[in-house]
Amino acid sequence: MDKHRLGFIIAIVSAVLVLLTTYLAMFYAPLPQTGVRSADEIMSSVEGSHIQVVGFVCAVVSRTGSPVVDVSETTVFSLADLVDYQRFRVASIEGHLGEQWWTVRPIDATVTSGGPLPGPYVGGEIALGANLSVHAKVVEESIGPNSAITGFSLSIPDSKSVSFDLGGGGFGTMSAPVAQKIFYFHMPSAWISYLAFFVTLVSSALYLKSRDAKYDRWAHSAAELGVLFSTIAILTGPIWAKQEWGVYWRWSDTKLVTTFILWLVYIGYLMLRASVSDSGTRARVSAVYGIVGFVTVPMSLLSARIAPLLRSSHPEVIASNTGGLSPEAGLTIGIAVVAFTMLFITMLIKRVEIAESEEELEELKRTIGGED
Amino acid sequence: MASSFMALYMAYSIVWAGVFAYIVYMHLRQRSIRRDIAMLREEVKKHGG
Repeated sequence: MDKHRLGFIIAIVSAVLVLLTTYLAMFYAPLPQTGVRSADEIMSSVEGSHIQVVGFVCAVVSRTGSPVVDVSETTVFSLADLVDYQRFRVASIEGHLGEQWWTVRPIDATVTSGGPLPGPYVGGEIALGANLSVHAKVVEESIGPNSAITGFSLSIPDSKSVSFDLGGGGFGTMSAPVAQKIFYFHMPSAWISYLAFFVTLVSSALYLKSRDAKYDRWAHSAAELGVLFSTIAILTGPIWAKQEWGVYWRWSDTKLVTTFILWLVYIGYLMLRASVSDSGTRARVSAVYGIVGFVTVPMSLLSARIAPLLRSSHPEVIASNTGGLSPEAGLTIGIAVVAFTMLFITMLIKRVEIAESEEELEELKRTIGGED
Repeated sequence: MASSFMALYMAYSIVWAGVFAYIVYMHLRQRSIRRDIAMLREEVKKHGG
């Protein structure tokens, strides 16, 4: 098949798939379960400061009256990263809550409305939904500043112990479920940037091996597209974070910082290319840079997965067992990834064509210059 | 909720604007290069190159 016709077909298919992704993300993929509002109401790192929590929670109540999490006479809250519920559960089981999570003493806690939620339930438990308003005081700080409640225990006046549990973790407890739909474009953009930088790595290595200028063109084109898509990921992420975490950016979050470093490294790659005029030197130097710079990709990619070690609240839904997607959300993100991959291939082919034309132009200029 | 929708639309706009702007940029760049190449070829032809 003719190269241009094939390119045109890929372009059309990728455009259709991207439009389909938008439709699915907006109208098909379900909203995740709502957790408490984290945002500004909760955020406080200063020991002794007051917090105010307002939101809807799901409570699991033991019929026997025994609490799921041990509570004392005074109410004890354990605050944890919203997206890291499993860590909270492990800490709870191992009795490390005091070490790993904030403990706050409530000044007053009011369940404004609530009632049983439809079952079925295991064991002797029932579940309650409740709108809750809590005014509490932080008495011990043991984890980073930007945390949100994922689960807590509350002793209520009639002496029954109630353990509130936001359940699920990951996608189950988003405080801004609508904004979560940003994920369907944010994640594929980030994925494409990793893929693009991988293409740069391979092309750079091939250039150094063969000294064939076409590999340099591929490396340059892929890096430029990688910067485009990583810019999109870096811009859309904070919009979600503001809704979910209450802040645009956390310099203490390894995923965010390593991704920012990745972005800077490849901006540096493009600047390096622009600053060297001799094409041979430029190709050689940028090939070495393209290989060395790739080290930032696994840094960014893996940082959230080793979160307990490096502290990251960035959701890692696909590859971790703390999250999990509904089939509808899974289908949407699957199509989004395919759509963006095809879009990337289309744009890369076009960009390489431009690079070839640029080279032809340079060649013509050299020819004319030589004749003069 | 309203701010969540606003955030969603803002993020989607960034994605679409970013991709669309880059495609337009590529198109303009290619057009400009092709024009330059045609001009230079014409020049070469004129001067008997």
